[in-house]
Amino acid sequence: MDELARLALDEAVSAGAGYTDVRAVREETESVAVQDQRLDGVERRSTRGIGIRVLVDGSWGFAATARLTRPAVLNAARRAVEVARASATVQRSPVRLAPVAPVRDTYATPFAVDPFGVGLDDKLALLFAATAAAKQVRGLTLARASTDAWRTTKRFLSSDGADISQTIVQVAGGVECTAVDGSEVQTRSFPNSFRGYCGTGGWEDVTALDLAARAPGYAEEAVALLSAPHLPAGPQTLVLAGDQLALQVHESVGHPTELDRILGYEAAYAGTSFLTPDDAGRLRYGSPLVNLTLDTTTPRALGTYAYDDEGVPAGRHPLVVDGLLAGFLTSRETAPTLGSEARSNGTMRADSWESIPLIRMTNIHLEPGEGTLEELLSDTGEGVFLTTNRSWSIDDKRVNFAFGCEVAYEIRNGRLGRRYRNPTYSGRTTEFWGSCDAIAGPAAWQVYGTPNCGKGQPPQTARVAHGAAPARFRDVQVGSA
Amino acid sequence: MGDGPLGADAMARLAEPALALRGRDGEVEGVEVVVRRAAQGVARFANSQLIQHVDTETVDVSIRVVARGGRVGVVGVTGGEPGEVAAAAADALAVARLAPEDLEFPGLAPAAPVRTIPADPRTLAASPADRAAAVAALLAEVPADVDAAGAYETGGLELGVFTSAGQAVTSLLSHAALTTVLSGPSSSGYAEAGGRSVAEIDPAALGRRARGKVLAGVDPVEVDPGTWAVVLEPPATGTLVQFLAYLGFSGRAQQEGRAFTSERLGEAALDPAITIVDDALDAGTVGLPFDAEGTPKQRVELVRDGVLHAVVHDRATGAHAGTGSTGHGLPAPNTWGPMAVNPLLRAGDGGSVDDLVAGCERGLLVTRFHYTNVVEPIETVLTGMTRDGTFLVEDGRVTRAVRNLRFTQSVLGALAAVESLSTETGYASELFSGSRSPALRLPAFTFSSTTTFG
Repeated sequence: MDELARLALDEAVSAGAGYTDVRAVREETESVAVQDQRLDGVERRSTRGIGIRVLVDGSWGFAATARLTRPAVLNAARRAVEVARASATVQRSPVRLAPVAPVRDTYATPFAVDPFGVGLDDKLALLFAATAAAKQVRGLTLARASTDAWRTTKRFLSSDGADISQTIVQVAGGVECTAVDGSEVQTRSFPNSFRGYCGTGGWEDVTALDLAARAPGYAEEAVALLSAPHLPAGPQTLVLAGDQLALQVHESVGHPTELDRILGYEAAYAGTSFLTPDDAGRLRYGSPLVNLTLDTTTPRALGTYAYDDEGVPAGRHPLVVDGLLAGFLTSRETAPTLGSEARSNGTMRADSWESIPLIRMTNIHLEPGEGTLEELLSDTGEGVFLTTNRSWSIDDKRVNFAFGCEVAYEIRNGRLGRRYRNPTYSGRTTEFWGSCDAIAGPAAWQVYGTPNCGKGQPPQTARVAHGAAPARFRDVQVGSA
Repeated sequence: MGDGPLGADAMARLAEPALALRGRDGEVEGVEVVVRRAAQGVARFANSQLIQHVDTETVDVSIRVVARGGRVGVVGVTGGEPGEVAAAAADALAVARLAPEDLEFPGLAPAAPVRTIPADPRTLAASPADRAAAVAALLAEVPADVDAAGAYETGGLELGVFTSAGQAVTSLLSHAALTTVLSGPSSSGYAEAGGRSVAEIDPAALGRRARGKVLAGVDPVEVDPGTWAVVLEPPATGTLVQFLAYLGFSGRAQQEGRAFTSERLGEAALDPAITIVDDALDAGTVGLPFDAEGTPKQRVELVRDGVLHAVVHDRATGAHAGTGSTGHGLPAPNTWGPMAVNPLLRAGDGGSVDDLVAGCERGLLVTRFHYTNVVEPIETVLTGMTRDGTFLVEDGRVTRAVRNLRFTQSVLGALAAVESLSTETGYASELFSGSRSPALRLPAFTFSSTTTFG
């Protein structure tokens, strides 16, 4: 495939392309899911192909093929140029790329145990042990457990001279415990909802979860939630667990700071942003405690890599500093709108060889504050604590949001009290982050993988991550579904 | 797009190395091969110019091997070289050997005829220049101070399902869709069209429709959240219908007690004016004549005259129910179960959207919803935002634009009382497939908060 990638690059340039890049990508996936003591599915997939992106007269063209023959690849390269020429007829302003030094390098995410080298029998044993442990709990209706592994190998070539090979291995694992009583359904997930733990790494990260030991506690909680009261509606002091804060960061910080959204590229589908390019350095995003960072280098995080799909190196870049908006997620195409000296901060990724790269979140973190969760609760006195996402929704400018969680706990006298079912909370982005008056410290800070971030047309799914420690927000509207 | 359709014979040849496993290895009880070729072009525009334009082609082969005792392994490969298919089949058998027994495995689809729906050659052959020209035609309708964004997609989906139990079916589906959002200084407007052919799309007409919305939506005012009478245009209605189908009408969720149909099938839960059928072969939607297991798709009445009538099945849930599959199986392995992906809400006799508005004393006209998600699945409580054209209706007339609102509302509750359904219907894509729905006028719909823009 490497030779065909080089052929594609040469053919596109010969056919008239200016800038050209080619990605030859192979991705293997394995998903194993069980329900109770029954296999729900074992799936292995491998996909490979070549995607060719060209700039002709300032307009983009892209073509991709899975047929790995010389004629098919040559045809795809010529099609990419044809597409760009057609696009140039509906152009207002030509694309201008921020420069990037071409790199020749190789990179691989580290792991101890290759998840693709672990036998299916071992994976099934781990998952069945987890569901069996959960089903020991009286009243539990369903226990589901799953593990996933992804290995992406890609070669990036550009007409600027870049030649980068990367291998990224990611894993996931978790258990879901569901209790049903008539029309009431309650689920608790460990260690998180939506496929559990997700990160770059190896099988050791899945076994370290100790699913069988942890599952019964979550099963008991699912059963207990069936008879728990609804969370009373009204303004409350809200403490969010790190797993829910991760999605809060995702929806109300990650997406609105994507510069392509700000510039209107996603207006017809995912939406735009309440931010403008001029807001950097001026707009108060949150309280002075709030610091948010784009960090593509975080060890073991799901969105970690060495170079993006434009050959831009990974890095750590501030988005919000002491509550003030400081930057955006950018690409080679969008960075120049911030000034002639602006450079891409390396967030462009495609979810497949057949997709074009888009600005994606990679890893966006809420930086830790001070103290432990217990100290935070003790200092809070009265309020509510919500954990583990169940639903999410936000408007097309990323202002008005509403989230649902799996469980809420009353905070009374500085300690967690009774449970509430179907808790929800809602707010507006900058008001909400402005109400943050405490963030727990590094010991409570964790990275949470989000494997299902959607964007683009045709739709793409990115695997991203967010680090967060529990944090407190004042006067937030809470309630119950 | 790409090198052209594979054709039935080539698809069958691709499946052969995997199907051959059935005769070679006595442990193999069955083999299912799904061959899929997708070729599509998408021209994406924003700021009134083309910004992204892709032309892609892929061929996938997915092999499900059933070993003795109902043990199943699934392996998929892209590319479809004969050697890759044979290797994937061997790998699937290796997975199946390690899988636990499943004595309830219902077997693979037997031979059964399927209807043929001709694909549209013009849609399959649409070129990058054709797509660019269509976008240009839409942009010609856009005022200078308004930015247009959207996507025009054309393509062909070719699917073949071959089983060792005798099923061998192929189909080629053409599809096209154009969506646009026009954004002005204080408002936005939306229009969408789609179907099996580019002939169903008039780009200039869509541009004019979205232009009407954006111009009517200027300077929106905030209205109080609460319970309002509403007129929902087809894209908004489509969101409710597709979420209802998703949450309630999968045979698996119903059998596991996780859906409102688990305890309420047969109940007159909705207004008698509501009839929802799932029909992939209806001319008004885009669907294949068989499912991912090779079973012919049946027309299923999910809701008949307000009564929760039936759920859809794949082979597993159909065997459990004793009814057989309705042809709604998803690709294996499938942890969701069957899904109703082509729900159609029967039109009424209420005339046009304007006629529905004329019958509304005071309420809100909603063009579409955005980022809708499930808050509570059994009660079908959803939350989402209005978007791209929300208007105040007073004395049967649209009087002014309003800022977007968040709704938090049970779909079952909303559809329990319907004042009127329009005669016209519209196609809308949401979730996993497309629906065709009329506009609705409902006496009560709950909005929980507002936002700061129109």
